[in-house]
Amino acid sequence: MRQETLRRMISFVLLVILLIVFGTTSSSFFTVNNIMTLLREASVVGMLAVGVTMCIITGGNDLSCGALLGLVSMVVAHLYHYTALPLMAILLIALAVALLGGMLNGICVAVLQIPDFVATLSTKMIFTGLILVFAIRNSAGLITTETINNPSISALGGAFPGGLYYSVAAFFLLAILAQFYLKRTKSGTYLYAMGSNRKSAEYSGISFVKVKMTAFMISAFCAYIGALFLLGRNRAAETATGMGFEFQAISATVIGGCAFAGGRGDMIGTVIGVLFMQVLKNGIMKYNFSTQTQAVVSGVVIVVMLVFDAFYNDYMQKKTTRAAAIAREKKAVAE
Amino acid sequence: MRKMKRFMAAALAVVCVMGAAGCAAANSDNDKKADANATTAAEGTKAAEEKSEALAASSGGIATKTSSVNPYTDELKIAWVPSNATEANGTAWGTGIGNELSYWSNVTYNIFDGETNADKQIQIIYDLIAQEYDGIIFQPYNSATTAAAVADAEKAGIPVVCINIDAETPHAGLVAMTDYEAGYAIGEEIAESLGGSGNVVVIQAKPGATRGENLEEGFQASMANHPDIKILDEQTAEWNMEKANTVMQDYLNKYGDQIDAVFCHNDQMAEGAGMACQNLDYKDILIWGANGETKALEYIEQDIITGTVYTNCYDQGATAARLLMMYLGSNIDTSTFTETPVIKMPPMTITKENVGTIGAEDRW
Repeated sequence: MRQETLRRMISFVLLVILLIVFGTTSSSFFTVNNIMTLLREASVVGMLAVGVTMCIITGGNDLSCGALLGLVSMVVAHLYHYTALPLMAILLIALAVALLGGMLNGICVAVLQIPDFVATLSTKMIFTGLILVFAIRNSAGLITTETINNPSISALGGAFPGGLYYSVAAFFLLAILAQFYLKRTKSGTYLYAMGSNRKSAEYSGISFVKVKMTAFMISAFCAYIGALFLLGRNRAAETATGMGFEFQAISATVIGGCAFAGGRGDMIGTVIGVLFMQVLKNGIMKYNFSTQTQAVVSGVVIVVMLVFDAFYNDYMQKKTTRAAAIAREKKAVAE
Repeated sequence: MRKMKRFMAAALAVVCVMGAAGCAAANSDNDKKADANATTAAEGTKAAEEKSEALAASSGGIATKTSSVNPYTDELKIAWVPSNATEANGTAWGTGIGNELSYWSNVTYNIFDGETNADKQIQIIYDLIAQEYDGIIFQPYNSATTAAAVADAEKAGIPVVCINIDAETPHAGLVAMTDYEAGYAIGEEIAESLGGSGNVVVIQAKPGATRGENLEEGFQASMANHPDIKILDEQTAEWNMEKANTVMQDYLNKYGDQIDAVFCHNDQMAEGAGMACQNLDYKDILIWGANGETKALEYIEQDIITGTVYTNCYDQGATAARLLMMYLGSNIDTSTFTETPVIKMPPMTITKENVGTIGAEDRW
């Protein structure tokens, strides 16, 4: 069995165990309403995780995606409140803002050669500052929050007749498109190549700049889609919108088997990771634990998963090296 | 790249189609302060049952529901969703609610921490709807962002009583601390102490937080009455004592003796500012907070800060719980309300002269 498949299987089995534990110990877990709510709450972070996965596969990261989601939300709210532009124009401007944000990340990392972590942490601060710049202010000049009373925006928070929210469908659609891109296109393969070994990839003619730009632009686009559906649900944007989402997205991605070092991971794993995180959050609420206990239990489970991932990577690397050495030895003996 | 562009275009098209697909009822705007409906609870502890008819009438809520529960015998689940369960206010409100609900042995009471995050609170509300809770007591972190979730809870037949901050949608009720009035009262106290002229600095709440916004509006309204009082600077310390300490040190380094008074949007920040003034030996500056938590009262006794606006949070929590239980036992359909009934808790300006009147049992 391939390493990637095995790692994904482990995450999937752990997700199933979690579902069984919560399903058998809580009567309110396996209800249609709860499952639909759970999926809905997973969807926006899931969209960000799709973009973050792209960046992590290239051996990088995107700490700015949550803030960019907040900025896009705020730009939509700002333009809706202060201008008479049609909604489609507002959405296109917001898309341009998102893509410019992604491009800024790409330029910092690929052109200016700033490490991903530092670059995206810095752009996160820029985006957070811009959120305050675009924030809606009342007559006294104080930051306030205004409801967006637009039927099309509200409709994004709606659901299909069966109860499945549009945001959930969009998340799965985005994940399918991203999986297709990663596994079935040359450009997607370049992301893996760059994450596995940058030097080899560049010797093979793959452009570091293009790969990084692509990953950050996709991440920005995912943040844009996430922002629209979050606006659909909340019908307002506030200054803290999206804050902390990036850590949930990154945790979900790693839990799903995406290697921090790059070169390994895919959307199936990310979807499993996103669901794992949300099932944990949702399920733990059913036990009526105190706030502190809930936080500690969630934190411990996530840390255990991340530690397991680190040990797993280490073990698999050693196993691969050993297998290669044995193969070399066998070949030498045969000769 | 060309293929990628096609994927992006396809995904955007899906979003646009979904966006244009349907429409939903728009939320009707609700006056944040709802002054017109305000009902002052003199003691804040009077039985909410007696007010049911008045509340129903004031809410335009003559619609009734076909089934109601028996609050004394039916198994009920009540949730308390504070903005932050670990801060002094959140804990005190939670204790007040818990004490009140302990009279009902059939009620299961659970606390869900919003972690100072509107999105987390929204997730919790939707989870509570899915779990079919009977009632929710809620302190929104943000009035507008949480409104849709509150409206959905009401639609699902779960009455939502808000504490302190209102959700911008009609719902079962609001038991408020009068932030606007508190900000105004503090402004007037400072003006009186300064004799109508001087310089003030403000340490603000996290940008966008509704409580901070209301306090600031009240304070600014008061300052408008005193044109000789100048606001030198306004910076946020995000509700945080340590950050307030740093901001105050910066103010003192920048303005020094020019500062006559400080207004902080909560007590924790006033405590931080007080410590900064003590450390840099600026002991004559007037420092005002807003909340009335125990530590602030102690600092007033020790002359570290000047004053605060106190509200009995135990009482406020208990009042919210009583109001919710009244709705659960009645046939009033709160989802049909066109305006939110408001109970305002009486604020009390506390300085060294009257801090002793707050007994140990009322400190939180």
